[in-house]
Amino acid sequence: MSTARELEARFSRACEVLLGELASGEAISIEFSGESSTFLRFNRGARQIGEVDQSRVSFKYYRDGRTLSSLFETTDSPELDARTAAAALDRARREAALLPEDPYQTLPAAAGSSREEFTGQLPESGRLPKTILDPARPFQGAGADFVGIHSQGPVCRGAANSKGARHWFATENFVVDYSAWLANGKAVKSSYAGREWDDQEYARKLGSELPRLEALSRGERTIPAGEYRVYIAADALGEFVPFFSWNGLSERQIREGESAFIALKEGRRLMSPSFSLSQDFGLGIEPRFNELGEVAPDHLPLIEGGRLANSLVSARSARQYGVASNASPEWEGLRSASIGAGELAEEEVFVSIGTGLYLSNLHYLNWSDFDSARVTGMTRFACFWIEGGRLVAPIKDMRFDESLYHLFGDKLKALSSKRQLVSETSTYDRRALGGSMLPGILVDGFTFTL
Amino acid sequence: MPQDLRRILEACAPAEAEWVGLRRVRTAGRGWQAKDGKFESAYDFTDEGYMVEVLFAGQFGYAATASPGSAAMKAAAARALELARSAQAWASFRFQPAARPPTVLGWETRRALRSSLGGDLLSRHAIRLTEAMRVSEKIVLASAELVLRDLVSELVSTSGAAIEQETSLLLCGYQAVARDGSVTQRRSSHGMGSSTNQGGRELLDLDSGEAGARAVALQAIELLEAEECPSMRADLVLAPDQMMLQIHESVGHPLELDRILGDERNYAGSSFVRLEDIGSLQYGSPLMNVSFDPGVPSEAASYAADDIGNPARKEFIIKDGILVRALGSLESQARSGLAGVANQRAQDWFRAPIDRMANLNLEAGSDRVGNIIAGIERGVWMESNRSWSIDDHRNKFQFGCEYARLIEDGRFTRTLRNPNYRGISATFWKNLFKVGEASSLGVLGTPNCGKGEPNQVITVGHASPVCAFRDVEIFGGGA
Repeated sequence: MSTARELEARFSRACEVLLGELASGEAISIEFSGESSTFLRFNRGARQIGEVDQSRVSFKYYRDGRTLSSLFETTDSPELDARTAAAALDRARREAALLPEDPYQTLPAAAGSSREEFTGQLPESGRLPKTILDPARPFQGAGADFVGIHSQGPVCRGAANSKGARHWFATENFVVDYSAWLANGKAVKSSYAGREWDDQEYARKLGSELPRLEALSRGERTIPAGEYRVYIAADALGEFVPFFSWNGLSERQIREGESAFIALKEGRRLMSPSFSLSQDFGLGIEPRFNELGEVAPDHLPLIEGGRLANSLVSARSARQYGVASNASPEWEGLRSASIGAGELAEEEVFVSIGTGLYLSNLHYLNWSDFDSARVTGMTRFACFWIEGGRLVAPIKDMRFDESLYHLFGDKLKALSSKRQLVSETSTYDRRALGGSMLPGILVDGFTFTL
Repeated sequence: MPQDLRRILEACAPAEAEWVGLRRVRTAGRGWQAKDGKFESAYDFTDEGYMVEVLFAGQFGYAATASPGSAAMKAAAARALELARSAQAWASFRFQPAARPPTVLGWETRRALRSSLGGDLLSRHAIRLTEAMRVSEKIVLASAELVLRDLVSELVSTSGAAIEQETSLLLCGYQAVARDGSVTQRRSSHGMGSSTNQGGRELLDLDSGEAGARAVALQAIELLEAEECPSMRADLVLAPDQMMLQIHESVGHPLELDRILGDERNYAGSSFVRLEDIGSLQYGSPLMNVSFDPGVPSEAASYAADDIGNPARKEFIIKDGILVRALGSLESQARSGLAGVANQRAQDWFRAPIDRMANLNLEAGSDRVGNIIAGIERGVWMESNRSWSIDDHRNKFQFGCEYARLIEDGRFTRTLRNPNYRGISATFWKNLFKVGEASSLGVLGTPNCGKGEPNQVITVGHASPVCAFRDVEIFGGGA
């Protein structure tokens, strides 16, 4: 297992070689992503257990108007890493020379530096199965399978460039991403995440799921397709957040006709005056710097009072379209999303639904129509039929298909006063950082289709 | 054969382990993107890493590292053993060493032309594709992408496995976005990312590729003026580039045995299929024949053995509409007591292999496409996926396509935009009433199938003829 300090040494060595060997007329921007992770996957006991020590340098090389991206893995060997970095740079020089000119080449210009480190108290990795699985025994008593994954270890990000920028972000964290399944196919889903592991807090968290499991053991209610009053809890609302990145609020995608929010940009459609969305690094859970070493503002309003306030603008889009950059990464995705709270108190949620649905989780959302920003998806896990302000029964999962202009617009009736941090749990290629601060929302006339 | 890997294994294998395997994956990737007649981006990289897997008291443990030195490999093997030891008392199943066969083989992608092309030629080709798409002022984006990926995967084990497989993949995709007022339409080559195949330089049609790009752009313009797809229940005819998605989501995923065994319940989901259904369930109409076939030369997920060394061969999954076998690896076969296939695959050196699709194909039938259309009174032809969503049991789905045509009284009448359809897997396939002959077969693939905890993406291939389904709920966009 590598420590954050050892991973940082790999980043420093790569920077030393790449920056040190750079010739006159050449420029470079360097990104680093490293982790030393222990994974325990479980399904009625330990299913897979292992560890991954992974640290990757990706860089962009610039010369004579040409741009080429490359990457290589770093290791525990300084000599090997130096050879690998030098070879990658040589190859980049040769390959870049073959390319056409990059018409919107954006050379690194930022020169600042930053450093954020968060140490943690993680469970002893040699005792993980006992630490994670023993406290879940009450689920067994309730006739439920305990299923999911525990991940832990240091996660690091770095950025540097030939203008002198140098940024480092390191955190030691854990997440138990779990669900408990009854024999009737119903389940509760949740997670326990943080930097300071606490056995008692973990056991308390698991124990708090038991009443919901009891509710899920009641007979399932089949709901006909139609429009319903629903409360979308924060975890479920989190499933909509990627849609502000994917064909979302990117300046480039708006210009290229690839955004579903062109009508919002042009003022042809609006959202509710009570809906606001921003990028808020005050959450402190992911780095503010991007691959060019630029640092984003702490707070960037995107949708205010139902209108588009800002799009996400990278340096490349700024150059191409003649607009100001807000230090977005080149992919112009939303980081550290924050949706403003409302006034609906938690204890009033069921009463405010009256008759309708409480949606804890959603699943497999996708755009179903770009121009109208329509999204389809499924209900999942603990979703309930509410009648007369009281929980009646779990529902048979339903498909919805609804425009975000309605969901966050004319159909949005209230937002909860309490917000919740919905942590990013993705582990594609690497353990993701970040999350979103979200309320729950009350929606009237939410459209179910199947 | 990977001799150096064997020496590393012999040096690092812990004596207490029942079995030890060492897998090395080396990848070389190159890619070029162009937009609107100009260079957009290019990349070129190599990557190498190792995974040590250890079996102790019936429990596997793994450790992955890019560090190749003997000390690092010994440390990795010791960690894998320690983790397996820590979990063995909690094991959900006790595996035998037979779950990792001692296969010895070498294999490589069949390539007619083995020489590679330079970045100058390939970046210019991407630019030319985008130039060919600029057929109108209404084209607001013309983009193209070429990706080449060569992957060498080697496996050695203490039980004698020695495998070396070399895979060469090419993805060539392009897309035109057209806009007129408030209407925006997109058209691409088979849906973006779906044109992934194995092969050599012969896959890249440098001379006539521009004609395909121009046709795509003209259809994007055509869609601006097209009628909205009407809401109706009617017959649905799907081109191979939408059948690919239909097979993937509503046949492939529900038949992955690890999903049926519950491993994926917390993330990708479970299945509407139960263990007891395998061997008897009427999955589709008698015209439905689906095979797991890792031996189709140009298909994206061809191989000779999976990532645990299980030799791969063609197996029917659905025969004459009956579910006869699931997509289960040796591990899932041991857990379930059912037959399976060689499909335990890993994204890369840093992820452990799990049950995946590979090449999952719908076998050709006997109907000519012209005859299929001629036999339909009222229906819709759809092609090229653009939207996909299905429930966690892989039953209630909704899919959308880029391009559609209305079929009335046995002939195409009008082009339709924003076509969508929805249905339920368990009933949809029973309404399959026509399967196109081999000449209508498309061999497609994607590198982006996501699953697993920790998450993994993997390359899959799907070949299918044109197919027709009765009584499907069809609808358009808007609202």
